[in-house]
Amino acid sequence: MYHQFRSPDGPIEVTVAKQGDEWSLGGLSATIMADGRLRISDANGATSFAHVAKVGDVWWVHAQGHTFKLERIEPGASDADDGGGLTAPMPGKVLEVLVSEGQSVSAGATLMVLEAMKMEHRIVAANDGTVSAVHYGVGDQVEQGVALLALDES
Amino acid sequence: MVSKVLVANRGEIACRILRACNEAGLASVAIYAENDSSSMFVELADEAVLLSGETIAETYLDQQQILSIAESTGADAIHPGFGFLSERADFARAVTQAGLQWVGPSPEAIEKMGDKMTARITMRAAGVPVIPGEEIEHEDESDALAAIEEASHRVGYPMLLKASSGGGGKGMRAVHSPDQLIESAKGARREAIAAFGDGRVYVERLLTGSKHVEIQVLADRHGRTIHLGERECSVQRRHQKVFEEAPCATMTPELREAMGQAAVAAAEAVDYEGAGTVEFLLAPTGEFFFLEMNTRIQVEHPVTELVTGVDLVREQLRIAAGEAMSCGPLMIRGHAIEVRLYAEDASNNFLPAIGPLAVFRPPEGPGVRLDTGVREGDEVTPNYDPMLAKLIVWAPSREEALQRMRRALDEFVVLGTTTNIRFLRELCDESEVINGTTDTTTIDRIWPDGWQPTVPRSVEDAALMAAAVGESSGLHRGQTVGSGGGETSPSPFETINRRFP
Repeated sequence: MYHQFRSPDGPIEVTVAKQGDEWSLGGLSATIMADGRLRISDANGATSFAHVAKVGDVWWVHAQGHTFKLERIEPGASDADDGGGLTAPMPGKVLEVLVSEGQSVSAGATLMVLEAMKMEHRIVAANDGTVSAVHYGVGDQVEQGVALLALDES
Repeated sequence: MVSKVLVANRGEIACRILRACNEAGLASVAIYAENDSSSMFVELADEAVLLSGETIAETYLDQQQILSIAESTGADAIHPGFGFLSERADFARAVTQAGLQWVGPSPEAIEKMGDKMTARITMRAAGVPVIPGEEIEHEDESDALAAIEEASHRVGYPMLLKASSGGGGKGMRAVHSPDQLIESAKGARREAIAAFGDGRVYVERLLTGSKHVEIQVLADRHGRTIHLGERECSVQRRHQKVFEEAPCATMTPELREAMGQAAVAAAEAVDYEGAGTVEFLLAPTGEFFFLEMNTRIQVEHPVTELVTGVDLVREQLRIAAGEAMSCGPLMIRGHAIEVRLYAEDASNNFLPAIGPLAVFRPPEGPGVRLDTGVREGDEVTPNYDPMLAKLIVWAPSREEALQRMRRALDEFVVLGTTTNIRFLRELCDESEVINGTTDTTTIDRIWPDGWQPTVPRSVEDAALMAAAVGESSGLHRGQTVGSGGGETSPSPFETINRRFP
């Protein structure tokens, strides 16, 4: 069966096959255990166990001391880029707005300061550019993921 | 006499104290905000009372409300834990005036140590060495900024700005050059006002290359003040400790005795009672300087408990009840390490994370202790501190303790919320940690551009397979073994294909 997972470098396509109770992928084989964990064996016969849980579209996997967050791309979904960077990393409050529309900024400049979980977080320009929109003002509450500002990169 | 303890705190430390009350045969009362209704600590108390109000100020910081709950439930003592009201002298005084026993030192001792300037003066008088620094008293922003600018010339760079009534890294900024000063000072003051309602800032020289070493003290009303050895907490990110151990790897018996005596002198100078911690910076020269005294139980107290065999919270309760502490002469045995598990993205500047604890499986086995206030199924919200748990290990030697910590971290499974587990695990492999040569700048030095996990391709492949099998077999829909997905014929195309643009 064919699935796609999002990664910072582009989608990863994974095709697994099943025969009996055993799943296979390349040299790896896996069976699902009674408690929902997976027993995975590699080509050399080394065995490890993986915990999995799905939250929303994301598969969380713990394997060999590493934790992975693998967002599944629903078949047919567009792989739109969120444009990225200038969004609220956490729900919080706007403490300070350091730029205004039309202002030129250089990479690394602090554009806005948010407070979340009692700590301050700076929203920083990733590239040189011009501020084309400021969506929130001081004191505004913002939800996670909302666009705070827009920057036209120069 | 103490027979019923109200725990004026929440989460992990409330659990720790409520369990100690249970073991000591004391009745207990928890107080909780609405959004903590299903939290673990509420279940561990004999009685739990809902706080009215929504914000932290209206709930866990509402002194009047807490005192009236103490009265209505018949509690005769209040344990403040750490954070919240634990270092508020006015609350300690109000508790005492209400005829209740405060589990902690006197309001006067909290005042003297809580105000960093007074603390320095008191320490100097007691013969305890202090770091060069000054307090900025001005409340008005432009006056304060001017005074900070002026003080910066006397204190010198690099320097540290911290909230006078602060703690926990809030309102704290390292300033390396004059051009960062004003922005940092504004930020420090703002955080200080938001977190403590007090914008006063303390400016001190940042002693680079130093270890953060603190001494645990205990004092009872029977004339006994003792120290319980040191903890090293040098490894910090954003001025918050993440890795703590006892004993300090570079400690000598002579230095321990000197620091221990300084800490006891500090406690005696303020007629201290109960458990407290005297923090020092230990310079590479072997000189040590008083940083501050925390007049409460500390987050990292378990490492001291594991190497000394003293139950510090139980001693706090005993001392508050007017009994003599039960500890004998100091005996340090083996090595203990604590790491703090935070819901945060260590690969993105330690940004706090939220989400469900869809899976929460702590490690087990010999020498492993977990202090937490959460369990599987709980939700991590932005309402409170993102610390999920403290994982503490003990072993006969430092080397074995590190091996045990690596094993325990590898076993620790948390899914649904991003945590710093892997960061902590990789920290255990760093040579400075292995050699015990960590100092307060270790994390910034090892990862100057931020930390990124090192993931073997084979493990990533196994994880991708696990996710694909999970999706194919409908594991997330609760289907059982063998029933999911349907048969697919063995295919020559079972592959992982990474398409990099």
